Amino acid sequence: MAFPSKSPIATRAVMALAGVLFVFALLVRGAKPAALVRPEDTPAAEPRIEQPLQLLARGAALRVAELDRWISKNQLTEWKAVRGTVFALQDCPPTMDWLDGAEGQRFERCVAALRGGTREDALASLVLVFQLARATEWKPGMLGHTQHAERLGALLEGWLRSWSARSAKDALLVEPALSATLLYGRAMRIAWRAPVLGYNAAPYERARALLNEIAGESGHRSEFGEALQSRHPAAARGLASDKDVLEGLEEECAVIYPKLVGDCEDR
Amino acid sequence: MDAASALPATRTVQAERHAEWLIALGALMVACGGLLLGVQVDANRGFSGTGYAAFALGAVIALVSTIVRARGTQGLPRDFSGAFAALAAFLGLAFASGGVLAPGGPWMLAEFAALLVLGLRRPRDGSRWIASGALWLMVVLFVFRLWITYQGSRNHWQVLSVPIPILSWLPFDFLAPIQSVSLGSFTPWELGLPPAGVDFAVTLGLWSAGFALCAAGTFVVQLCAREHENDRVHDVIRTLPAPMAGLVERLLPEEEWETLGLHGLPTRLLCKRIEALVRERAQRQREFAIAFERAQLLALTHDDDFSGAIQGALAALERKPGQTKDA
Repeated sequence: MAFPSKSPIATRAVMALAGVLFVFALLVRGAKPAALVRPEDTPAAEPRIEQPLQLLARGAALRVAELDRWISKNQLTEWKAVRGTVFALQDCPPTMDWLDGAEGQRFERCVAALRGGTREDALASLVLVFQLARATEWKPGMLGHTQHAERLGALLEGWLRSWSARSAKDALLVEPALSATLLYGRAMRIAWRAPVLGYNAAPYERARALLNEIAGESGHRSEFGEALQSRHPAAARGLASDKDVLEGLEEECAVIYPKLVGDCEDR
Repeated sequence: MDAASALPATRTVQAERHAEWLIALGALMVACGGLLLGVQVDANRGFSGTGYAAFALGAVIALVSTIVRARGTQGLPRDFSGAFAALAAFLGLAFASGGVLAPGGPWMLAEFAALLVLGLRRPRDGSRWIASGALWLMVVLFVFRLWITYQGSRNHWQVLSVPIPILSWLPFDFLAPIQSVSLGSFTPWELGLPPAGVDFAVTLGLWSAGFALCAAGTFVVQLCAREHENDRVHDVIRTLPAPMAGLVERLLPEEEWETLGLHGLPTRLLCKRIEALVRERAQRQREFAIAFERAQLLALTHDDDFSGAIQGALAALERKPGQTKDA
């Protein structure tokens, strides 16, 4: 092979470039990875809702009225009415039965409307769904009535589709969105494993598709997937499982909401 | 006069520049490869370094290998290009060795020990930068490193999970702990993965390209460093009058210059070494010619046996082309 004749200057220039790259190749090995700064840890420049997870916990009733000042004007009336209803819900009705009633339909309309509003509206929407999960029965029981858990899962699924990507860098919504994911995983896993023999495949496949969409695949995680990885590593690890992608979510959910299993014990 | 002695001076200079140019090019490949082997990409597309631990052990392997290769020779790089080639070859081997080692933990030390043992073997071919056994081990270790990084990118912290037949087929969760056996567990800290996790596809591309560039660059640099040393010897011989230089190159063929210890000598010692070698070989040639002349006195009594055939062949050397045996 015939190489073109190179002048000594070009040769020296290439050597100098290689020398610079050698130094750079040594220095780059010491480069530290960027630290993960959680959105909620960044200093706030404006007033915000403090500790939004409290609004999803058992004591949510103590603070839920605080949300009134943050709700959009056109949703405020409906929000006040629905929160009053759902936080006063008694007797633990089956989830789907209650949703199919007049109050339930109003609840669903309000949840959908708030979901399409501001980020504070979205949080309020999630607060309502969590309260529904606490106040109604969605446990399948021995007869394997999975429709209640699947309906709750559908409400959470709609919220996650709308807000998971936007919430990943949002100090207000990131933790609530992750909590919603954990509860979603639990509800769908309960529905999946409801039959005494075998499994109910549909909710599992639906959940797997959604989680793959919002969290991404391992190695190509979305920002929301990264947020899940940094806060709930067991749940993120479980997403890569071949057998049960929901197991990790269930484990983490059991830590945060141990009694929120669809039998109204967490009220 | 052979082909080398018939080369015009301009072609000689150009050949030297080719060696220097290829050293520069090989060094550039090594540097780019080292750079690529030194970075990893996390899931947020952020870059971070792979750390110094594996590189430090790679440097030790490179040092040992260099010492083994240089054992028994007294040569050193005598000009900037030679020194630069030696530096590039050392760094290339260090980058490549460090690039195949696991980034930390017992895996790294075990791999280091294995590479060190094989690195102590001198390559059979002088142009090779490392013994072939060590080279193959490096390839295997590189594949292993890619595999454990892949496992880590999926949050699977073991080399392999082997399902136990029958037990793993049963759909009972309480059997999960005994349904498979994990082989070779490790931690994210041992792998030095960034907090956001590693983007395996991009990192795989970077590391594979880096390893290939380092290996190929080191090979090119080593070959061209030899060629460059040959150019130095050639330059010294070419200071003689052309016919005499041609004769010297016939006595000392270029292929033997490295094994004759002419590489890496200072110019003064190089001249003395060539002078001694020429004297020794000329003397040997002369002794051979005398012995041959005496052998001609022997009668070729048995042309068809072994000694007769050798005699006949030697006698044929003395005949002019076209001259027959009878003539």
